Amino acid sequence: MRLRRAATLLAAMVARGLTLLAAASVMIFLAAEALPGDAAEVRFGGRATPEQVAQIREAGGLDRPPHARYLDWLAGTLAGRPGHSYVTGRPVADLISERAPVTLLLAGAALALACPAMPALAWLAVRGPRRLRPVITVLVVGGAALPQVVVAAGLVALLSAAWGLVPPVSLLPAGAAPWQHPHLLVLPVLTLALPSAAYGAALLRGVFADVAALPFVRDAELRGLSSLAVLLRYVLPMSAAPLARLLAVISGGLVAGTAVAETLFGLAGLGELLVTAVGVRDIPVVQAVALLATAVVVCGLLAADGIARVTTGARA
Amino acid sequence: MHFPLRRRLVAAGLAAAFLTGCSATSASAPTATPKNAAADTFRYAAPGSPTNAATDPHGLLPGESDLVRMALTYDVLTLPGPGGQTLPRLATSWQPDPGLTRWRIAIRGDAAFSDGRPVTAADALFSLRRMGEKAAENFGRTAMFDLAASKVIDDTTFELVTRKPYAEVGKALEGATFVVPEGSTDFTRPVPGSGPFRPAGGTAQAALFERNDSWWGPRPPSRRIEVRAVPDPQARGQALLSGQADLAGGVPATLVKQHQDNPVIQVVRRPGATLYPLVMRTDAEPFDDVRVRRAVRLALDRKQLLDVTFLGFGEIGNDLLTPKDPSAPTGLPQRSRDLARARALMSEAGLKDGVDVTLRSTTAYPGMDTAATLISRQLGEIGIRARVQLAPPDTYFSTVYGKEPFYVSYLGGIPFLDVVRVALTPDSPTNETAWKDPAWAAALDKALAEPDEARRRALLGDLQARLRDEGGYAVWALSDRLDLAGKGVTGLPEGIGFSAGFIDQVKLGG
Repeated sequence: MRLRRAATLLAAMVARGLTLLAAASVMIFLAAEALPGDAAEVRFGGRATPEQVAQIREAGGLDRPPHARYLDWLAGTLAGRPGHSYVTGRPVADLISERAPVTLLLAGAALALACPAMPALAWLAVRGPRRLRPVITVLVVGGAALPQVVVAAGLVALLSAAWGLVPPVSLLPAGAAPWQHPHLLVLPVLTLALPSAAYGAALLRGVFADVAALPFVRDAELRGLSSLAVLLRYVLPMSAAPLARLLAVISGGLVAGTAVAETLFGLAGLGELLVTAVGVRDIPVVQAVALLATAVVVCGLLAADGIARVTTGARA
Repeated sequence: MHFPLRRRLVAAGLAAAFLTGCSATSASAPTATPKNAAADTFRYAAPGSPTNAATDPHGLLPGESDLVRMALTYDVLTLPGPGGQTLPRLATSWQPDPGLTRWRIAIRGDAAFSDGRPVTAADALFSLRRMGEKAAENFGRTAMFDLAASKVIDDTTFELVTRKPYAEVGKALEGATFVVPEGSTDFTRPVPGSGPFRPAGGTAQAALFERNDSWWGPRPPSRRIEVRAVPDPQARGQALLSGQADLAGGVPATLVKQHQDNPVIQVVRRPGATLYPLVMRTDAEPFDDVRVRRAVRLALDRKQLLDVTFLGFGEIGNDLLTPKDPSAPTGLPQRSRDLARARALMSEAGLKDGVDVTLRSTTAYPGMDTAATLISRQLGEIGIRARVQLAPPDTYFSTVYGKEPFYVSYLGGIPFLDVVRVALTPDSPTNETAWKDPAWAAALDKALAEPDEARRRALLGDLQARLRDEGGYAVWALSDRLDLAGKGVTGLPEGIGFSAGFIDQVKLGG
């Protein structure tokens, strides 16, 4: 009986995930469609005659109505063929698989740093040394508001220009896998991780403060349990659901948000691909990358829901 | 700065290559130390985007990295020389009939594609025809040729027919006429080429090339070249400064200013590479009056524009669109600011009380927005109240370029006849100044039908001089193309435009 209920729940979750993805794909398509100009116009802007532009549009199927292009794209993607780039004619799947390792490594490393940093900072802001609390709060809120460009510039100035620890750009040698050159990843990973950690900590601070005010947590503190023990034994488990949701959002943000770090440090990853593809109106590429990032967030949110159900369900 | 880990890996990789016998005839000493081994790969951080990386040599080559990759892989028919002269490459001679419409092009007999097939005249004509089919993507580079009427004569000769008498066929074949095997259809990957290097893998961002030891031309000094497409100019410069590249193309002037005296790098300046001409449509008010166009040219403070927009890295303009072209007129007086004369011209044009206009620009290239702001301020002094409006870089070329009556344009080191084809004949796709003067067009045909080179150049020069005084362009400055190279790097290409893309003779220093 219990197994059947779990299966129904799982099916409902998957259905919800797919609905979310479908809605997102329509929104991404409409947003890209709303941009002025299409691939043919942007690519040959001004330098080709209108007849030549029309010819290119026809050859690329750009002259067909939007809904037909969307449905074509959807059918292709469901069949595992996300189509070809309007600009280079290369398969979108190739473009993505070439770049996914860099971005996944950057996002993964940034997440690995941000994951422990978020609760640690949040807890320091709530139960750290009394004098430090406002300082940490300011750092966390300020850090969350800092644009990546500023973080990157600061890190370059400090780690590269002043101390000479790592190079200011991260060009990967031809044929080398990104993980073979860890020192080249320091700056981009920190650029991604620091604002994410600050953002996460800023949100968690409130959650932790609420949990810390619960009677049995106060009780544990009065019993003389160390701050770390209180965090690990009471606060973290109690905050599991919001923590999981936060991680889901941050992971998606990291996958989609590598654009700035990749461009500044000269790495060819998915973020850089997305930004350039938007610039040249390469809709199939935009769709695929944006949908991938959305899928990460949706999967994460579903997992978070699952966790929330398990933790609250256990008590119900 | 040193990054020993990286060095060791590269050295190890190359040592392995040596052991497997990839380089039996390396130019460096046989007892190569790891440092020498690493120095076998020349790394170029070139302007371009890994996302748009082109694989078709006959289509649009959006970035310089694309041109560089093609120029390593494929042979071209002729090459632009540093002084503007045409150099033979795969084509060894180009001889016209007396009417200048039927040209015999002879190609080398000793070039071979990487699959072993010899390069023939049929391959060359096939490649030109393919360029003709892709006219929309390459801005009609072969528009002067009647390719259907052209024909192969024998293995090393073909006849190229021009639509009108056209004396500059050598020049028309310069730079981008990449020759591929006849019948090639799938260009999603490189097809066999006969160029100085061969593609040897790499990633989306960095393409690796190995020397083609059976190339007919001068033996390239570098065994391997790595071409990296790096979109951000600052990142390209930093890559060189931190030892991750041996040559960085197109770096910001600010960076060059900071590192001018750095002893471990050399600054390479290529004069006249880029201009941001001010475009005035000659069929739109108030610029349809030639007196207003003259007033604008006299109102510009060229020195200030050069110093602020290009940080002084360049020279002031004399309203010539292609001053580095060998046919550019010489001996013209430098045009300079004359506000009194400009105001008088405005009065003569009936605009004593001034006029309101919108000046469009963008941030697509560094300083284009600054230039517009300065121009607007300078024109204010003769009563032209120009409101600056910026278009986003990705829509500028489809909504402003070639459409609006008054804007800051972009031109990158292309020869006079290329500008003519794209922008100055009545049916040019981007006749942005609406320059449709029939007398000028007739004089152009006459110049191109002139077989004597000196006389032809003089005629072409006259055309440019007339355009300078009456046309719709104000060319206030030319900026240098700024590259950074490691100390001791030699064999860098000279010149601007296509010639900058040929890096097969680059060599690392000691």
